[in-house]
Amino acid sequence: MNQKEENKIPVLISKTRWILPIAVWAILSFCTPQFLQKVEERSFFEFDLFWFCGFLDKPSGILSWCSLFFTQFLYIPWLGALVWVLLLTLSAELTRIVFRMPSQISFCTYIPAAIFIAYNMSMGYMIYLMNHPGFFFLPVLGYLWALLTVIALRKAEKPVTSIVFTVIWGFAGYYVAGFYGLAGIAAAAIDKAVSKNKYRGRMLSLAVAAAVVILAPILFLGTTTYYLSTAWTIGIPDHVHSVSLERLQLPIIIAFLFFLLAPLSGMLEKMASKSIVYIQCTALTAAIAIPAISWYRDSNFKTELKMIQAAENLEWENIPALLNRLSTEKENDSSWQPTRVMVVLKDLALIKTGQEGNRAFDFEDGDKDQKRRWDVQMSMQIGWIMGFHYGIPGLCQRWCYEESMLFGWSNTTLKYNAMTSILFGNTELANKYLNKLGHTLFYNKWAKKQRPLCNDRNLIEKTAPYDQILPLMCYDDLISSDQEGCEIFLKRHFNGPSPQNSTPLYDRVSLLFAIKSKDPTLFWTRFFLYLDSNNPEKIDRYYQEAAYLYSNLENNGLLEALPFDDQVKKLYDSFKATSSKIGPKSMNEARNLFPANLRHTFFYYYYYVNNLNVF
Amino acid sequence: MKHLITIAAILGIMVSCAKVPASTGTVDAEPSIFPDYTDVVIPSNIAPLNFRIEEKAEKYITVFTGGSQKIIVKGDKVVIPPKKWEKLKKSGLIVIQVYAMDQSGSWRSFIPFTYSVSDEIDPYISYRIIPVAVESYQELSIRERNLTSFKEDIIFSNTMVQTNENGTCINCHYYKNYTTDNMLFHVRQYKGGTVLVLDGKLHKVNMKTDSTLSAGVYPAWHPTHDYIALSNNRTHQSVHSVSHDKLEVLDDISDLILYDIKNNAVSIIENDSCELENYPAWTPDGKKLYYVSYKYEGGYGEKRKNEMFLARKDFHFNLYSKSFDPDTRTWGPTKMEFDAAALDSSITWPRISPNGKRLLACISTHGVFPLDQIVSDFIMFNLEDGSYRHVDELNSPFAESYHCWSSNGKWVMFSTRREDGVHTRLYFSHIDGNGHFSKPFALPQRDPDYSREFLYAYNIPEFMKEPVHITPRQFASFISSSDATPSEYESKRGE
Repeated sequence: MNQKEENKIPVLISKTRWILPIAVWAILSFCTPQFLQKVEERSFFEFDLFWFCGFLDKPSGILSWCSLFFTQFLYIPWLGALVWVLLLTLSAELTRIVFRMPSQISFCTYIPAAIFIAYNMSMGYMIYLMNHPGFFFLPVLGYLWALLTVIALRKAEKPVTSIVFTVIWGFAGYYVAGFYGLAGIAAAAIDKAVSKNKYRGRMLSLAVAAAVVILAPILFLGTTTYYLSTAWTIGIPDHVHSVSLERLQLPIIIAFLFFLLAPLSGMLEKMASKSIVYIQCTALTAAIAIPAISWYRDSNFKTELKMIQAAENLEWENIPALLNRLSTEKENDSSWQPTRVMVVLKDLALIKTGQEGNRAFDFEDGDKDQKRRWDVQMSMQIGWIMGFHYGIPGLCQRWCYEESMLFGWSNTTLKYNAMTSILFGNTELANKYLNKLGHTLFYNKWAKKQRPLCNDRNLIEKTAPYDQILPLMCYDDLISSDQEGCEIFLKRHFNGPSPQNSTPLYDRVSLLFAIKSKDPTLFWTRFFLYLDSNNPEKIDRYYQEAAYLYSNLENNGLLEALPFDDQVKKLYDSFKATSSKIGPKSMNEARNLFPANLRHTFFYYYYYVNNLNVF
Repeated sequence: MKHLITIAAILGIMVSCAKVPASTGTVDAEPSIFPDYTDVVIPSNIAPLNFRIEEKAEKYITVFTGGSQKIIVKGDKVVIPPKKWEKLKKSGLIVIQVYAMDQSGSWRSFIPFTYSVSDEIDPYISYRIIPVAVESYQELSIRERNLTSFKEDIIFSNTMVQTNENGTCINCHYYKNYTTDNMLFHVRQYKGGTVLVLDGKLHKVNMKTDSTLSAGVYPAWHPTHDYIALSNNRTHQSVHSVSHDKLEVLDDISDLILYDIKNNAVSIIENDSCELENYPAWTPDGKKLYYVSYKYEGGYGEKRKNEMFLARKDFHFNLYSKSFDPDTRTWGPTKMEFDAAALDSSITWPRISPNGKRLLACISTHGVFPLDQIVSDFIMFNLEDGSYRHVDELNSPFAESYHCWSSNGKWVMFSTRREDGVHTRLYFSHIDGNGHFSKPFALPQRDPDYSREFLYAYNIPEFMKEPVHITPRQFASFISSSDATPSEYESKRGE
């Protein structure tokens, strides 16, 4: 290969760079829409000057506001992804243009973008701990601000103008963009220092930039209330966890080190063409490998997100279907189990669709550890969904308030707080939250729909989801603390004394919790209450199975008194036969030894689904 | 800086070019406005009482008349220019006439309402701003507000000290005789201790000793001597399932201690194991300490807390007092001042007026934490003749809780959830010579929608004669860099 051909290779590679953003957009839109929606649901943006002013309190607040503006578009995942990818592409292409980088090394400019993608898409469960407003768009917007700083400071060529401009832009930039403003000033100074133009006073310019980078955060310390050591990194996404912040901020800092190197790219022109090929290929590999390797992949997490999404949209039928689909996919994976979040969401969905008595044990049970490094409580994921839909609005509100305290108000917590206020008949409070949502781009219609419900009990009783919640609020007020154990709390709640004004729905839910508790005494109490209040034409399959099993165990004479299906009797006999062959086994061992029809019975649940960790 | 742009724009548009409608129909009612500032008594040095008109109309005109001064404001968001407001107040009585134009273009006028200008109020207040939450404390700040303007500053925020690994809670700020050179607040957990400002100098102490229950909690600074009475509490909280009350808060143990500032020493005031003593409050002469207490003779150990939550509705706190000789630091016998239990009620948060003639307290059905009880109201005692009455002028269907007398005794500031049942807001009321309170009015805000938009709660409001002189950063540096000095325990001196 001659030198000419060698030179062509990086250029040819460069021309393929448009494929990258398209591929990323497609993957984001079609493979991870739930994740993007979760980012959006956990954020909040309203068109309101009062709210905007709240961001003026500290450096980088304005950039956070801008990031939240873009985050709202993730409500429509493909649209939000498109905006994000366009911004990432803009950041890469603009870097190339601003620093006049030859197209032979064009992929180098994609490395910061690749790091930003990796940063966001490697989060997984960390999404529940991020508490920085607009964290998803923040790095790329910060990067663009830093580029803008370089462009702006180039305009000031005379030394005095340059110094004055650096100081003013530097301080203003720090206020607008925090860390990114400082990075921009540093890059601009390096840019000038290595400029081919005969620029006078370049050393002075570097010194002034260094002074701005050091002094701007100190100057602003007097007017703000953030922790001293974070003054220089303010604006890099933050999170709530007892893990040192620096470790998680490192990728963003590395991305900006690449940015600081960009002004030095002119030096590459002197390099041998072979080295250029090597650099371009390495950059291309890095741009693909960094996100690909770090992309968070976990089918349970993905299914959890889908199930939560379905619950938010009241698409209850979808939830068991999602769990079924995943367990079919994982049929050959003996180590697979659902997480508790999946199990409790499935139970809730079955109750909402009235299928709990016939389908409660159709699914694999389990307590698979979530694939995460940091502790995420179940209540942080679905606490308000459980509290609200199980008719414990106090619990729902409590988790919404806790969330808002830790992570700021989000569309989700505002929605649930509005709905619980409607349930409580507190119009003024409901309006407070609905007004907020009314100022948003994508939730205003929802808020508008809810307004007529405020203070109209009759309408509430006829409107979903309230129609299914009010019958569950038939108990006298209780005080309790869920101690962050969402599932344990629900068990305690429904396994407690039955309310005097119990409703058929409440009795159904209590019976499900009773059957799952494997407590025969509790089961019988709830079972007869259920028969009394629901008066079913035919007793649901799993309640028959439980009654049949307990009657056999207790020899209480109910075997003749209750109308058991032949199928239940046959299954019991079959289970007994198989069980006596297999003997006592752990849950995982038994799972592979029993055929599916026997595994999906109450008998199997009673004998083999044991020692589950509930949260 | 906050909201200035909005207000400048609003003011520019609204105050200009407005004319009073020539002919109008009349509405036989005062206009509905938020906050409800109709017919209120206001301090002569208070910031403008801006409001939003809640009547449905196409256009609005509001005319403020005070003596020869007149201001006309256009629009439903009524924002009064501060300089004109000052002139208006000088008249002593401001009459506000609201006009509204309907879709047909005809104007109607409402019955005018008034602002009656009265005694001065302390120019500063401070409060804690907290999200409505249960356990978390990611961002808390103690702030001061200039009542003569809208200026609000942070005194201290926990975000200046805590780290991701170590959270810090801040609470219970208090001042000696309304001045800020002697003040305190508590820092809990990381870098914890009670931060004391003594004659302008910073100190951090740990009042928890081997012989006391906890660090100091609810404080009462002795008015004449260097003592602070504090409660010691072991507090628990629980969530309501289906109630307008959100939380149930109780102490399974609580005592009273006296902190001797000069000697950095703690002694017991009351620590009867069967009594839950709480909320100390000195009389202005410092010769008597009021507090509340409930006798609980239940079990001990692990189950105590749960048993107490179950029995919570029987907890009726009574009002007690103890005489005190500050020179010898000796206590007199305990005297029951008010038997709330006899009325199936519970009394909390006693605060005595600066002239020592009245005691204002919260009263509710049970328990010790009125903030989270929708039924909590105010009760006032005439300490001269022992009579008492429920203060209907101040009470609302929602919870009334923490309150404070102004230094001249003419005003009371209190926290209430009357606006939406959840977010605590600050209200003020004037008290006349007969002990009658005027209609309460909300803390004025530059933007009248502020209270509705603001999703945080005000907590522990206290009057101050002056701003806090120590900067937030000075507090932060001190708290971060110094360890709390342990207090000594001194055994109780004889009754």
